[in-house]
Amino acid sequence: MRVTQTMLANNSLRHMSNGYQNLGKIMDQLATGKKINRASQDPVVAMNGMRYRTQVAEVEQFKRNLGEVYNWMDTADATLDSVTQSLHRIRELTVQASNDTYEETQRANISKEINQLREHLVALGNSKANNKYIFNGTNTTTQPIDTTKMDLKTDNEEFIANKENFEVTYNGELYKFAGDNGGNTFQSTTGKTIEIDGERITHQYTTKDENGDDKNSTETLKDNQIVISYKDAVSTNNQKVNIEVLKGINMNVNINPGQVFSSDFFGDIIRLENALNDSSSKSGDITKFLNNISTQMDKVVNERAELGARYNRVEMTERRIMEQEVIAKRIMSNNEDADMEKVIMDLKSQETVHRAALAASARIIQPSLMDFLR
Amino acid sequence: MQSTFHGLETARRAMFTQQTALHTTGHNIANANTPGYSRQRVNFTQTEAYPNPGMNRPDIPGQLGTGVSAGAIQRIREGFLDTQYRAETSKFGYWDARQVALHKMEDIMNEPTEDGLAQTMDRFWTSLQDLSVHPEDSGARSVVRQRGMAVAETFNYTSESLKAIQRDLKNEINVTAEEVNSLARQINNMNTQIASVEPHGFLPNDLYDQRDQLVDRLSQLVNVKVEPVGSGGLALDIAEGKYTIKLVDQNGRDIGVTLVDGKRLEANEMKVAYDDDTGLVEAVYFASQKTQEDPNFDYKTNGGVSKFTVDNFHAAGKMKADLESYGYIAKNGEEKGLYPEMFQNLDQMVFAFAAEFNAVHNSGWSLNEIAAGEKSDPPINFFEYRGADLTIVNFKGAASNLKVSDAIMAGLDNIAASTDYQGKGFSGDGSNALALANVKDASLNFGGTTTNVQSFYQGVIGDMAVHTNEAERMMRNSDTLRLSVDQRRESVSGVSLDEEMTNLIQFQHAYNAAAKMISVVDDMLDRIINGLGR
Repeated sequence: MRVTQTMLANNSLRHMSNGYQNLGKIMDQLATGKKINRASQDPVVAMNGMRYRTQVAEVEQFKRNLGEVYNWMDTADATLDSVTQSLHRIRELTVQASNDTYEETQRANISKEINQLREHLVALGNSKANNKYIFNGTNTTTQPIDTTKMDLKTDNEEFIANKENFEVTYNGELYKFAGDNGGNTFQSTTGKTIEIDGERITHQYTTKDENGDDKNSTETLKDNQIVISYKDAVSTNNQKVNIEVLKGINMNVNINPGQVFSSDFFGDIIRLENALNDSSSKSGDITKFLNNISTQMDKVVNERAELGARYNRVEMTERRIMEQEVIAKRIMSNNEDADMEKVIMDLKSQETVHRAALAASARIIQPSLMDFLR
Repeated sequence: MQSTFHGLETARRAMFTQQTALHTTGHNIANANTPGYSRQRVNFTQTEAYPNPGMNRPDIPGQLGTGVSAGAIQRIREGFLDTQYRAETSKFGYWDARQVALHKMEDIMNEPTEDGLAQTMDRFWTSLQDLSVHPEDSGARSVVRQRGMAVAETFNYTSESLKAIQRDLKNEINVTAEEVNSLARQINNMNTQIASVEPHGFLPNDLYDQRDQLVDRLSQLVNVKVEPVGSGGLALDIAEGKYTIKLVDQNGRDIGVTLVDGKRLEANEMKVAYDDDTGLVEAVYFASQKTQEDPNFDYKTNGGVSKFTVDNFHAAGKMKADLESYGYIAKNGEEKGLYPEMFQNLDQMVFAFAAEFNAVHNSGWSLNEIAAGEKSDPPINFFEYRGADLTIVNFKGAASNLKVSDAIMAGLDNIAASTDYQGKGFSGDGSNALALANVKDASLNFGGTTTNVQSFYQGVIGDMAVHTNEAERMMRNSDTLRLSVDQRRESVSGVSLDEEMTNLIQFQHAYNAAAKMISVVDDMLDRIINGLGR
């Protein structure tokens, strides 16, 4: 093949510009640390890159969600601990007061302390974490417990007018309005009823006689033995608050507040206070309350145990998220990050090639026959 | 009997001829760097020997040579290489233009980066997750709104930027068509000039060069085939004649358009017609200048006009790539092309995603609804379309018109984070926000493809990347082939200075020797005229 100077010049130029192009690509890789800078350089890397980035973003988000999960659970746990302690103290005081050597004023003083403890329990029920009421199910912006709506008397005008808005606590059980046909009747879940007709309060219940047959009993209660409160004095929103902690796995972060801070929970304590303030109360009347307090304490302990178990699960999930984060980031890095050692080696060899091209061009293009024809 | 002055005549002829060769060498050297120049060579021919055989020829030893003359000055070129070069050039023109259009699209899609659409959507999902954790928090709501706006604006921006490039492509199509027409006219001019020179027995080498260069340029825009037509008269056998230029497909088959008619010395014009509604290319047509100048001319109705839809227009080259990139109405009435298809994909993606997102949003309870205790009627949408009324069958413009709804813009408390729970919603319930965040994984129907929005988008980007990658690779391949053919062409037609230098010396010596011959004959004559008979 005949080769002319123009051909040599063109080829040299092309080789040099190719060299610069390759150097430019290597330069991009070194400066950005990425294998590719546009999708077309490697469509597969680009597509995977998009997916892996989303994955990393997801894991990071779950990590952030975990912070809030801990916030809820830690606060709930600490609060339930205080609730247990307060109940212990109330129990102690009740045992103390049940001693008949205590006289009226001493019992009244104990009642005052229990009253303070009750206030404390209300405050605990109304506790906030991160500016949310954590014991009100999903209704986190409203305070769950309103003491002004508790402990109404039978002569309360509104109670007389609209009994359906109220409920009654007696002996650890909650009696709900039984409906229009019942007129003045409130009914518990176990079928016991309380009828409030003016000042007269009658309690009807069934017991078993010695033969094991049902026996209907009726007793008359005093005004201060029952506690009447508005239905919404304690919120009944027990809906679960869920936070996603892993793809598709929702963690229930709140406790079931109805199991702890219920109307009967506070009602029983109010009844205890009333009993202590009642001069006619005998040791036996007060001892009865120990049972109620134990029942409430059991409920708290149960909730706390469940919370603890869930807490363990959260910790396990956290470890998984941490592992996943490392894996996701490694996969992303493997996919799109440049291998620096390789790139630097490429740079070195490309540099050598480029220098050779430059040197060769300089030597070949210059001389011609003219230089030798003199 | 031969002439006494025979030697003088032979030497004179030699001197003249070598001089012609020297001049041609000079011309070659002068044009060593002229683009498109083919080196020229003087075809030396011996003059007729003496004596001619015939009845009354002198009886002398014969035949005696009478010297040399310059037969013709011919350019050295191989037509086959031109054909090859032009085929490769039109492929290169096609892939190069396609690659440029796709590269621009890729620049705008800007994936994978920290600023692309995928990342913006990821941030939006993240903000919804945050809202699901803090559903009562107006800060989290405001972030959701901002990120939602960012998503809408990114879609708007992306499709607007793509539209801007599409508009540039339209300009480019018109410029390219104009260039095709201009080249056809120039080639026709060259034909006319050549037709007036060749019949006199001359070779207009420089006109040939110019004409070939024009055809080379034309072949980058459309794929052409050259058919020479003889000029007649006293034209030499090696005269190249007039060129008839036809459009051909990639297999070299005539597609039925004569761009330049060598016989009639006419050039046709190319025009691109656009659809009124969509602005896309409706047809490409070719007709003579005269036909088109007729004020009643309408390419849709006139006969004698070659008209092509873009999918019928098989002459590859820059023109075809530009038409395909910009977009056209296909035979079946569909909108086709790189940019229209990207718009369709984006619109499809936006429509399916926004519809699902709104449906989930509608089912939830916003803080305002929770406060009012009842669902608002009509339900609150999160996304809306500016001005446009889009449906599942006609969602054109979804991407460019997407925006966060007025209701959401008017109040953060209109974001529905809570799910319906026994006909009510609660402020601390973030499960609808979570459901919204999970719309990203929901299987949606994107015009026949059922997948989630992320995968669909990844598919769109992947497709684009593969197309770009292919165009780039084909562009490089055809460029390599084109360059290698060009090297071979250059190897035949290019001027080598060393070679010209060698020729120069060779011709110079021949010239000098012929001059010496004259002084030898002179001495000889001097002997005859002055030395004899003293």
